Amino acid sequence: MRAWKAVVLLNLALVVGVGWGYVFWGLKVARLDRELALARAAAASGVEREWVVAGVVRAILPELDVLVITHGEITGLMAPMTMGFRAASPKIHEGISIGDEVRFTLRGVPPNVAVTAIEKTK
Amino acid sequence: MYALGLAARWVHLASAILLVGAATMILLAGRSDRPTARRWEQRVLAGSRWLSLVALASGVVVLAAQTALFEGRAGAAFELSSIARVLIETQAGAVWLVRFGLLALLAALLWSRLSVEGSLDWRAARGEALLLGAIALVPVAAAGHAAAVEPETARAIALDALHVLGAGVWVGGLLPLALLLRAAAGERGADARPYAVLAARRFSRVALGVVLVLLATGTLLAIANVGNVAGLVGTTYGRLLVAKLVLVLAALALAGVNRAIHLGQLAGDGPTVGRPAMRRLATFVAGEGVIALAILGLVATLSVTPPARHEAPTWPFATRLSFAVLEGAPGASARVFVGSQVAVLGLVGLAAGLALRGRQLPLVAGALVVLGAGVGLALPPLAVDAYPTTYLRPSVPYQATSIASGAALYREHCAACHGAGGAGDGPAGLRLPRPPADLRAPHTALHTAGDLFWWLSNGIPTAGMPAFSRELSEEQRWDLVNFLRALSSGYAARAMPATIALDRPWLVAPDFTFTVGPTSPRSLREYRGRRTVLLVFYDLARARPRLAEIAGRDGTLALLGVEVIAVPLHDARDAIRRIGREPRVLFSIVTEGAEPIVAAYRLFAAAPHVEFLIDRQGYIRAVTRGSGEAGDLDRTIAEVQRLNDEKAPPAAPEEHVH
Repeated sequence: MRAWKAVVLLNLALVVGVGWGYVFWGLKVARLDRELALARAAAASGVEREWVVAGVVRAILPELDVLVITHGEITGLMAPMTMGFRAASPKIHEGISIGDEVRFTLRGVPPNVAVTAIEKTK
Repeated sequence: MYALGLAARWVHLASAILLVGAATMILLAGRSDRPTARRWEQRVLAGSRWLSLVALASGVVVLAAQTALFEGRAGAAFELSSIARVLIETQAGAVWLVRFGLLALLAALLWSRLSVEGSLDWRAARGEALLLGAIALVPVAAAGHAAAVEPETARAIALDALHVLGAGVWVGGLLPLALLLRAAAGERGADARPYAVLAARRFSRVALGVVLVLLATGTLLAIANVGNVAGLVGTTYGRLLVAKLVLVLAALALAGVNRAIHLGQLAGDGPTVGRPAMRRLATFVAGEGVIALAILGLVATLSVTPPARHEAPTWPFATRLSFAVLEGAPGASARVFVGSQVAVLGLVGLAAGLALRGRQLPLVAGALVVLGAGVGLALPPLAVDAYPTTYLRPSVPYQATSIASGAALYREHCAACHGAGGAGDGPAGLRLPRPPADLRAPHTALHTAGDLFWWLSNGIPTAGMPAFSRELSEEQRWDLVNFLRALSSGYAARAMPATIALDRPWLVAPDFTFTVGPTSPRSLREYRGRRTVLLVFYDLARARPRLAEIAGRDGTLALLGVEVIAVPLHDARDAIRRIGREPRVLFSIVTEGAEPIVAAYRLFAAAPHVEFLIDRQGYIRAVTRGSGEAGDLDRTIAEVQRLNDEKAPPAAPEEHVH
């Protein structure tokens, strides 16, 4: 075979190989992206969810039915911060005072969540 | 095993590079009908054929050795499943897969008996060999130290790729060129002499450019992998690099002789070219090639040696040069300035002497004398005592807990002589041959952390300072170093005002970890680049008015990007409960970890109530001292706005002291 023909064939094979690899990885990345998006959507969809979170009570606003709590991470909902939460019922405030370390239950369809139960841990 | 892996690396690198160089040299020399030239081309091609197989085989050995290294057991080198795992799951493995594929293609091309009678065929076949060889060589950059450089990994890989490719052209081209020159210088090589002269000239021109690229990329890569002079002379990697540099200089000296003398002697056409001159050139080029192969051996060793940047350097000299000495010493500064100018004059003279023809010797000698005088004048004032640990990086970061334990160790071991406040006025110090150092003084900042570590470990016998390497663990000694840094910078900070000095950060805020209630611990560092921190040290008995004032402006502070962290001077698990309903404080109150934070920051300002304004880069910029009364928070807010208006944010300080 003439050398230039062989070389052209070789380079064609190289280009095809590189292209195939590129497409292969591209498709894989696209698939992973889709799965990630689906998982995110599932997490954010209108399903009622529940978390149990540790925190410390910073303020109680009975007139608004709100507890302000410094809390740790709430998986899939929010990072650690100081945040006001609606209490599901006025009873929640009873027996809780500022500075109490607590474990509280948060329930609802994000972002509409409320404290449904709270107990002192210390 | 190690030696075998290393030898395989060397062989692999050398064969991959020679493949590129051989193809380059054939293309540079061009196609010829002269029998000697054709015989040479066939010889180089035959060599390339075998080299392609050697590259593949040695590559397999290197891969096996790497697998053993990754898996941590020698047996893995002989297990196909382990090797397959490395190939598929690691970046180095991916690089190997690509390179093996390309090398196999190259071997197939070289071993196939293609007809290369036409000019087009010849160029296609030889060009393809160069292309495949080059793209089989270049990816090694993505599997070496360059791939671990941070930040700017891509830049380092690109530089390394260029460096490797340049080495392929220069180093790889030398031996084929030597073969050609020797064949042409032979008794029956007269027919190929013009061809050989042309090839040598072309190679010389290309090599000049390539060597410049090699020097530039090599310097940049050395900076990325070594970092500083201490890394160069104080670590295995650095010293190997110095050895490589020496060999490179030797090869360049030979190259310079070839360019300046031997190449010129090849003047004239064809048969009139002197055979002795050509033979000399062949010998010199071959010598260059042999040195280059030795350089590749060092490169193979470097590739399995941890880069200096990640090692603790051992400073081998008793002195070092420091420009920090010149601050506040106008006499020394003037001397260094004059000396450096004289040295520059000497350099100019040297360059002129080398460039000019005739009367060279006296000019060069004179320039060398001037250069020496300038250096001799400029350097002595810069020389500072140095120790093996001078450039050691502290193994304990600059953190409140370390400073606090350093403070406790100081009270126990050092205060007797150096005084409770570090002024060098301790009762036991009076009887010493030399008064103990004032540890608060600014000169403490001239010594590296490694210097302090050395004195703590080995003492200063002439001054009566005892050694503590037996009594204190390494970590404890670093704690003391961190404490001393905080002590001297705290002393300098005693006059820091409540207003910021625009664009002039200098006081690093020691990092600390704190907890609010049952949430997971947070550290000051986490706010870097995101929030300005107002760090408040309060005593509840008197600070309620001030806390209420800050709490009342919560919204404004949040809007300006300020995070308030309040630390009670008396560590209390129930600090939040103690504040109670009024004032309604919602910012972070440290309920755990306050003690070391207070101990460390007390060194910067001691008052019943202190507030530190820490910028986004982690520098303390302003200090408000008070008694806890409600004051003028608007002033603090104005300072925050000035911070937010700063044009060029300063670079963040490092995690360790220097």
